[in-house]
Amino acid sequence: MIAVENLTKVYGKRAALDHVSFEVPEKEIFGFVGPNGAGKTTTLRILAALMEPTEGRAFIDGADVTKEREKVHNRIGYMPDFFGVYDQLTVAEYLDFYAACYRQPKSRRQKIVDDLLALVGMTERKNQLVDTLSRGLKQRVCLARALVHDPAVLLLDEPASGLDPRARVEVREILKELRGMGKTIIISSHILPELTELCTMIGIIDHGRMRATGPVHEVIARLTTGRRLRITVLDAKEAAIEILTPLPSIRHVEAANGTIEAEYEGDETTASDILFALTGAGIRVSGFTPVDGGLEDAFLRATSEEA
Amino acid sequence: MNPVTRALWNPIVAKEYRARMRTWRSPFAITIYIVLLGGLGWAVFSAIANNTFGSGQNNYGQTLFTFLVLFQVALLAFITPALTAGAISGERERQTIDLLFVTPIATFSIIWGKLLASMSFVVLLLILSVPIFSLVFLFGGIELDQVVYAFIVTGVTALTLGLVGLACSSLFRRTLVATVAAYAGAFVLMAGTLLYGALFPVVVDVNASQQPAPPAVTLLSPALPLYTIATNQPIPGYGVRYPSGGFNPTAGGGSCLTQPDGSTTCYSTGVTALPAGNVVGQGSSPTSGTQLASGLFKGWQYWQASVVMQLVVCAVALLFSALVLPPVRRFRLMKRRAAAPAPA
Repeated sequence: MIAVENLTKVYGKRAALDHVSFEVPEKEIFGFVGPNGAGKTTTLRILAALMEPTEGRAFIDGADVTKEREKVHNRIGYMPDFFGVYDQLTVAEYLDFYAACYRQPKSRRQKIVDDLLALVGMTERKNQLVDTLSRGLKQRVCLARALVHDPAVLLLDEPASGLDPRARVEVREILKELRGMGKTIIISSHILPELTELCTMIGIIDHGRMRATGPVHEVIARLTTGRRLRITVLDAKEAAIEILTPLPSIRHVEAANGTIEAEYEGDETTASDILFALTGAGIRVSGFTPVDGGLEDAFLRATSEEA
Repeated sequence: MNPVTRALWNPIVAKEYRARMRTWRSPFAITIYIVLLGGLGWAVFSAIANNTFGSGQNNYGQTLFTFLVLFQVALLAFITPALTAGAISGERERQTIDLLFVTPIATFSIIWGKLLASMSFVVLLLILSVPIFSLVFLFGGIELDQVVYAFIVTGVTALTLGLVGLACSSLFRRTLVATVAAYAGAFVLMAGTLLYGALFPVVVDVNASQQPAPPAVTLLSPALPLYTIATNQPIPGYGVRYPSGGFNPTAGGGSCLTQPDGSTTCYSTGVTALPAGNVVGQGSSPTSGTQLASGLFKGWQYWQASVVMQLVVCAVALLFSALVLPPVRRFRLMKRRAAAPAPA
């Protein structure tokens, strides 16, 4: 559904994107993760045909974003990270205006607006001036705006940024509903736990380069499994830490909630060597578990490797 | 919906109408406009009643009309750039422009919608000024076609200034910069071209048999055609220069030239050279305008030439806007730098 091939964007001497490639199959939700300035917004703007890449190509449902802009615009709903609204228009008029821009027939526009307002839970505010809404409500209206032409693909750039926890939960619920409707979604966000729950695929970008991409659990497993250990000892925790710290494979050791968490470099053999070092020194180990650090850990590892 | 209806009523036009007329600014601007124009009419009317313009001034309607058309175009020169200079840059500043660019609506439709909405307001102002202009018919001396031509010139001038404002708005990201540029453009078109005619007049060929005409560029200013429409004569001596010692403008709207042999040739409005000493009185036979007797628009009415010149500027400004507005430009004002190699 979405294909990005060697996308490169250079501003002056700085490469905002450096040969970024990834694919998002139909009906998948792709979480696009990266620190500020990593290239997320640039990628989404190129996909929305608002910017031309210096090199590379990108396709939305087979339409080339640099050559078939109108086709692309008919197939995507785009929500930018920062956006404004028109003053002097009510919520319903605002959505009706964009529905008209997307050439929806006048006879259908009222129903489209009503359905979208119901979807984002704004029916009771349809006659309120859109400029007077809170940030969270504006985000919802903007999401509804992106859906006025029922696009197959949604490009959402930080849809939950600047929102309070309740508003974030509400936006997440709407996105889940959209996932249920079969939309293909790319969503950039820095609220990582929510992405883990929401997304089926993930891409981690840093300094314009794609560090990792694939199904969420695969990426997390690839980047984190086997590198963090949770060790439970029956006694002599301090002694265990003293044994672990000087080992060459250990990067960091800390005591946490009655257990020891150890970061190490290596594979399963290295882990077994660590266990052997502890038991060999007479430490009674009752638990020794590789820890899946989750998306946050995967993100930190992916973005720290070449930073 | 057929293409013409769609063009005239695209969503942007409807949205702009709605948003514009919901603010206090529009009724306020309309009120100020009418008060100023009406105030001027009243002042001129009072001056005429008090004989301020002198006993030689006997065509009251023409005097009132001249003041009104020139003042109206000056007012529009202040209003129109303000209407359009923020039309596109304002969308950028509000961060709403990208949301328009991702719709299938064409760039040209965006410009057209903004222009149509702004020009509709100008047309509304022109319509509202009609009752004030109708005062001139109380005095006579002005025909209906003169009023129509004056409104055409004024309307086209507003269109030109509007499109120049839109071009500035498309080019500059900030409304303040766009507004300053639009007013600078308006000044150049309205006054700069007039100044050019005064500083670099056409030098009259003493052997020419036809009346000289000011430089064609001066016709970009509406002042010249409006004055000509109102008075049925060009501005005496403007835009032409007679050889040293030869200038002898007459009170009759024509001008006389002392020939090398000592004889005098007088030129009158719209006619070829007359015998020495023969001066045509002004306003003797009112016409809808005065013809240009020479130059690029030879044989055209002043207002016709002005309208054509301004429409050329409109076309250029429209084309420029359509080229610079899209987020992905097909041409660049400056050559793009060579892409740097990706950092290792």
